[in-house]
Amino acid sequence: MSDMIVLEQLTKNYPGQARPAVDALDLAISEGEIVVLVGPSGCGKTTTLKMINRLIEPSSGVIRLQGEDVTRADPDDLRLRMGYVIQQVGLFPHHTIGGNIAAVPRLLGWSRQRIADRLDELLHLVGMDPAIYRDRYPKELSGGQRQRIGVARALAADPPVMLMDEPFGALDPISRDRLQNEFLRLQGQIGKTIVFVTHDIDEAIKMGDRIAILREGSTVAQYDTPETILAAPADEFVSQFIGSGASLKGLGLARVGEVSLADWPTSLRSDGRAAARRALDSSDHGWVLLLDEQRRPVRWVEARGLQGEGSLDGVGLEVRATVEPTATLVGALESMLGSRVGVVVIVDGSGAFLGTVDMRVIMSAVEAMRASAHQRVLDDRRRMRTDQEPAASEIAAK
Amino acid sequence: MSGTLVEGLPPREEGGPLRGDGAALPLLGAADPTRGILPSGSRSRSAAANARRYLGFPAVLALVCVLVGVYVAVADLDDVERRLLTFDRIFEAILVHLQLVGISTLVVIALAVPLGILVTRPAATGLTPIVVAFGNVGQTVPSLGVIVLFAILFEPGFRGAAIALIVYAFLPILRNTIVGLQQIDPFVIESARGMGMPSGTVLRRIELPLAVPVILAGVRTAAVINVGTATIGAFTNAGGLGGIIFGGIVQSRTPVIVVGSILTAVLALLLDHVLGVVEEVLRPRGL
Repeated sequence: MSDMIVLEQLTKNYPGQARPAVDALDLAISEGEIVVLVGPSGCGKTTTLKMINRLIEPSSGVIRLQGEDVTRADPDDLRLRMGYVIQQVGLFPHHTIGGNIAAVPRLLGWSRQRIADRLDELLHLVGMDPAIYRDRYPKELSGGQRQRIGVARALAADPPVMLMDEPFGALDPISRDRLQNEFLRLQGQIGKTIVFVTHDIDEAIKMGDRIAILREGSTVAQYDTPETILAAPADEFVSQFIGSGASLKGLGLARVGEVSLADWPTSLRSDGRAAARRALDSSDHGWVLLLDEQRRPVRWVEARGLQGEGSLDGVGLEVRATVEPTATLVGALESMLGSRVGVVVIVDGSGAFLGTVDMRVIMSAVEAMRASAHQRVLDDRRRMRTDQEPAASEIAAK
Repeated sequence: MSGTLVEGLPPREEGGPLRGDGAALPLLGAADPTRGILPSGSRSRSAAANARRYLGFPAVLALVCVLVGVYVAVADLDDVERRLLTFDRIFEAILVHLQLVGISTLVVIALAVPLGILVTRPAATGLTPIVVAFGNVGQTVPSLGVIVLFAILFEPGFRGAAIALIVYAFLPILRNTIVGLQQIDPFVIESARGMGMPSGTVLRRIELPLAVPVILAGVRTAAVINVGTATIGAFTNAGGLGGIIFGGIVQSRTPVIVVGSILTAVLALLLDHVLGVVEEVLRPRGL
């Protein structure tokens, strides 16, 4: 993967301040990855982000976008190539949702028809019905809906880069979680290069392909994958910043889609009781999962509920716990604990049945993660030792 | 340190800019100049209901004028009163009065709005207090003083009074332009700049439309104040309804004073209503 954004010795001095807000930062961000800048408040992460689209002009250093030095390029042209999403969203209150999303395409002089098509496409992409929302005003939306529109607006002209400054920070925990998951799913489709700022290490672990943990002056304490940072924090600052519960956070990193799902007896509700009984009998489980015509899970039914004849409508327990493959194992575990059957059903984007996660799946995933983290630390130690050995022998030679 | 100007501000609720600067406006004599005559959502009401609401108050004012006219026509007035209260004189006075107010207000809009825009540009924020201080001078000096001063400086009569009214109306419109632009959620502007919108486009498409309600509230306040202040122009021979009132005072004729005063009040109320309707029609939807 080539580098999409490269920051070289990027520095920001504010007059009257002894120490630079951003001090000679070097950072390379590869194409198509989410890089999270995380650190305590005041560490310069937002300043760093705003220097990338030059809302804040760097005092010195170089910004490269797709290999091109854009440090002195026209800032408006530069910003047209980068979506920008902020915590407060900043929708134009006097423009409709459609008008907000169309802002950049209009600046670029797109045709009316092209804008209208793109608008519908984007609203679908962020899960909002164009017919309902196109002509509404921002004040008519909830916080979560506004941020969806904020994301759609930033994506409007399909820029290669997205800059996101605590985009989900102002939302309640439930909406935040939902938007994070939606955004990860979206990113799976669009594959943008994303620079994401947060002060929340859990959000960083969840969203980041790589995390840059910053200390004061935007100095990089560690820049690596979340797995490696959790398993092998570079220093005391990083491990303090991660905080307690690193192993549970590690479990939060594995996504349901990455583990092998457990199979489960299923039967179409419309196939009737006999089919459901057959599915149940041919397995060692006590429940059969009924699916509707679109293969969406609807009810859990025990053998008892399948006796007799008649339609299967309303028989058994409602399926409450379903998660998508983008959910973490922690999320799946939580849903599992909340379900009455002790199993969480995994569904795809359209709600169709993919498989289930039960305790055995979680346990084997935990085992695999421990083994690989152990292996990685061993590898690192071995590599360090081989790096140091020539130096040691040189000293010995003198 | 990421304490930039923008980041340091407390988060404000999206889409709900503070409206009408409560600090600036009571000073200018209006309770809440940004209030609409109609409750919000009136646009969706039926046309008939809207017409009733838009035209009801002017109808009352028209009725008052008719009653005044009937009174002038049938009352037992002496010769002096008859001479002072001919219909020709009254219409002429109203016309001159409207010209005084209209010309001064339009000139102020043409001067104060651009100035307000200028001093709110990021490069010129240091200028804002200085400019507002100058505007304050016009407001703080009593209106009679301003009018007499400008009559002496320029010439007594229409032109001197018009210039005095311009000075007098400058502050409400200037200050409301500044406040109207400053009250816009800074994150709306940040997101506009951040998406690559040039600053001129941000001003045209975002800032000015969002400031329109507050600017128009200033225009309304200024125009209504000027209807009253313009009567003082009679002291410098500027004409207008003040001339009728002044004539009544000089000749000690109460009916003349009352007619002049009622017509001035009707004019002020009518202008207030009309500008209120304009404000409402021009207020961007979605606010």
